Amino acid sequence: MGKIINDFTINIATANGTGSQSANLILLESLFDMGVPVSGKNLFPSNISGLPTWYILRLSENEYQAPGDRTHIQIMVNPDTWDDDLEALEPGSVVIWNSNTKNKTVDREDVFSYPMPMTKLARGINSKLAKLVTNIIYVGALAEILGIDQECLNLAVNKQFKGKESAINLNIQAILAGREYFRENLEKIDPYSVAKREITQSKFFIEGNEAVALGCIYGGCQMLAWYPITPSSSIAEGIIAYIPKLRTDENGKANLAVIQAEDELAAAGMVLGAGWAGGRGMTATSGPGISLMQEFIGLAYFAEIPSVFWDVNRVGPSTGLPTRTQQSDIAMLYEGSHGDTQHIVLIPGTIEECFEFGWYAFDCTERFQTPVFGLSDLDLGMNKWACSGFDYPSIDMDRGKVVREREVFEAFETFGRYLDVDGDGIPYRTLPGSGMDPILYRGTGHNPMGVYSEKPDDYHDLMNRLKKKIDKSRDKLPAPILREGEDAEIGILYLGSMENSIQEIDDILLDFGHNVHQCRIRALPYHPEVESFIRRHKATIVLEINRDGQLHGILRKELPDDLVTRVHSVAYSDGLPPRARIYATLIDKKLKEVML
Amino acid sequence: MSMRRERAVKLNVINEPKDSYTGGPSSLCPGCGHDLISGMIINAAWENGVEPHRIAKMSGIGCSSKTPAYYLGQSHGFNTVHGRMPSVTTGAYAINKDLLYLGVSGDGDSASIGIGQLIHAIRRNMDMVYIVENNGVYGLTKGQYSATADVGSKKRKGPSNELQPIDLCALAINLGCTFVARSFSGSRKQLTSLLRAAMSHKGFALLDVISPCVTFNNNDESMKSFSYVKENEMTLHMADYIPHFNPIEEVDVPEGHYRDIELHDGSTIRLETISEEHDPSDSVAALTALHEADQDAKHVTGLLYFDPTKPSLAEDLDLVEKPLLDLEDSELRPSKESLDALNSEFLS
Repeated sequence: MGKIINDFTINIATANGTGSQSANLILLESLFDMGVPVSGKNLFPSNISGLPTWYILRLSENEYQAPGDRTHIQIMVNPDTWDDDLEALEPGSVVIWNSNTKNKTVDREDVFSYPMPMTKLARGINSKLAKLVTNIIYVGALAEILGIDQECLNLAVNKQFKGKESAINLNIQAILAGREYFRENLEKIDPYSVAKREITQSKFFIEGNEAVALGCIYGGCQMLAWYPITPSSSIAEGIIAYIPKLRTDENGKANLAVIQAEDELAAAGMVLGAGWAGGRGMTATSGPGISLMQEFIGLAYFAEIPSVFWDVNRVGPSTGLPTRTQQSDIAMLYEGSHGDTQHIVLIPGTIEECFEFGWYAFDCTERFQTPVFGLSDLDLGMNKWACSGFDYPSIDMDRGKVVREREVFEAFETFGRYLDVDGDGIPYRTLPGSGMDPILYRGTGHNPMGVYSEKPDDYHDLMNRLKKKIDKSRDKLPAPILREGEDAEIGILYLGSMENSIQEIDDILLDFGHNVHQCRIRALPYHPEVESFIRRHKATIVLEINRDGQLHGILRKELPDDLVTRVHSVAYSDGLPPRARIYATLIDKKLKEVML
Repeated sequence: MSMRRERAVKLNVINEPKDSYTGGPSSLCPGCGHDLISGMIINAAWENGVEPHRIAKMSGIGCSSKTPAYYLGQSHGFNTVHGRMPSVTTGAYAINKDLLYLGVSGDGDSASIGIGQLIHAIRRNMDMVYIVENNGVYGLTKGQYSATADVGSKKRKGPSNELQPIDLCALAINLGCTFVARSFSGSRKQLTSLLRAAMSHKGFALLDVISPCVTFNNNDESMKSFSYVKENEMTLHMADYIPHFNPIEEVDVPEGHYRDIELHDGSTIRLETISEEHDPSDSVAALTALHEADQDAKHVTGLLYFDPTKPSLAEDLDLVEKPLLDLEDSELRPSKESLDALNSEFLS
């Protein structure tokens, strides 16, 4: 039997709230430290304690980051999912299981079975903390089976429990106990192992939400108003955590106000208030929060108030699957609120872009005087991704067309809050407290001077100026990332966290006989380069993690007529992070339909 | 050639004429109580010598919320969405705490759709004046009952209101609101004094002003009609406002028959006791006065409750001294060195 090195998937089945997360992160960090290309995904329930949780570690020499098609090594600690997890395994898989689990055993002959008395070993180390220690025992067993470097494990434990000496000792003791039990009582019979690889570039792991939070800190955010909601809370909590270090003066006073609002409506109202007053205000929420904020989003668009909204997409509609991932808020963000509206949406696909769009969103909203959305998702936001470091903002803060000095104000022949002076659809504004052009901002119809108006021409002109303003932002927003060779006829257009699965999809498609090019959209309204990409290809698949093909719908509405028939939707969502084979198979099927 | 004597324009303490505080013409129904309140806002701001451009006029949606167009034309304003003016004000306040936030709202805004936001703004003790122009009906949508309509209120058509009204003053006192007053749009002297005091208060000042709707709720059986309020108003005290820039002068009222309350900026509100003494620091007494008036189908007016000791939102936010608006970009964006340090910290 041949050895399989650094190229398999480990699935760890535990119960929520048993401390398995730290065991899993120790595994992730130690493999990463060994130079093994690895990614981790946490599939967790909407629950504080007790419901099933799975953690998936994908080791891939091709650096694939999607969860993979199948499990090669299954760790079973949770009796509730035991039978299903066991049944799902393909022959030849490895099962490492807690043999102290009541009424549960592994009775399959076609798998490599390693019974470990995890509870008993854990009790022997610390009877009070046995539940937590049980999880560390499987880390030890796995380390012994795969050959994970103990040095790297020690480092990972130290990182996880920074400075807490007793916790560090306890965990290392448990890892060693797991190793020792395996060595003395069991024999390795499976083909899987890990091997050290040379690390060419040093990287670290960080969650997308933390990267967004740091981006906002470096974007000069002045007010954060938020209401807790999974999976976005860690953006707000990240900002709060970094304020003492990065946004306070020598007296410990902050220059970033944080208000935990009474609901998402109030959070949105506060963001508008901050923007109206001349500051950089933001909120972070998820789809249900954006649903509640719709009224204010329309006001921000119509009254032209800078405001930043981060949406970490989870599975809808309604409460949906609150701890699962999806790209289903695209249409709601792009066309949010009643009436004719169109909004700027920034869509990061990498951890570095989470940071970059974090600061850029503020420049963008002040430049265009319109709400700006950041669209992330649970997969990108709440999982740890490898990052090579954050780049300092490449440009100075862009505060947009704000008239702050009286001489500047007086140089205007006529000043009107909504006058299109420069022909770019973006008017000039003055700030409350300045005494210059004091107008009553309103969500009702208004003329270029900001005065209430129901005149047909005033309304029509205003709506068309707003359309022009957003339209003219297209080529100023982040351009798509293109990956093109010479002769492919097929393009794949995708967005956001699909970035982490696209290369694997691409490789599977090549096996199917399709040579494809890639275009990752990073902002809406879409960049002119997106249109030329579609024009260069005979057919373009629009790939999304949702049911209805929301991005496809937007493209069909805005593309020139001759291109509309060249874009084809492949949309699929089951709540889990995208598994490459599912999408590749659907693309193959679609191409067979359309390339006749 | 005859010498025409120039009429001197009266100026306030910062040398501004009253014209600097006026606004556009009203489009409300002729005789509307709200217009009287607008006039008193103009007077109060002028008399207090507030710089007109340092006021921010905030409102929600409804007849009352249209009024910011009719006063303080030199102030920026924001006519926001229905019931959500408190949150917008909170956000603006976080950025620029040095403005005087003057919110005007109605009973639809404050007792129905936006009651949650009102409650939480009170809870945060945000520095603002919050005026409720309370008439018990939805005027713009043509006369539906609001949540402050009295039991037995009757429209020309349809059944009478049998639901218990929400008393915003009682609610505010229970929430620990730091300045709670009730008045009547027809009580020029009392309301002007209360408005002036509210503007000097640090914290959340709620002014519930009964302001009869001349079109939909001015029938005699309504407790919020002009005639009813005129006849059934129980004044707790005559209020007189003495600004910090005027020394307290001797008044005719014998000692012991008035009570001075010092406000945040050093101004004083002098409460002249009418009958039995009401202590505005006694929340139980304030609630008792409200309940007794309610039982007698009367309105009790005056400064009901006052607490200058509670920290306001500014203290809770614990921000730098300067308003955040006035900080330089370089103060808001941490240095490149700090990011380099973070990157290497992550890598270690």
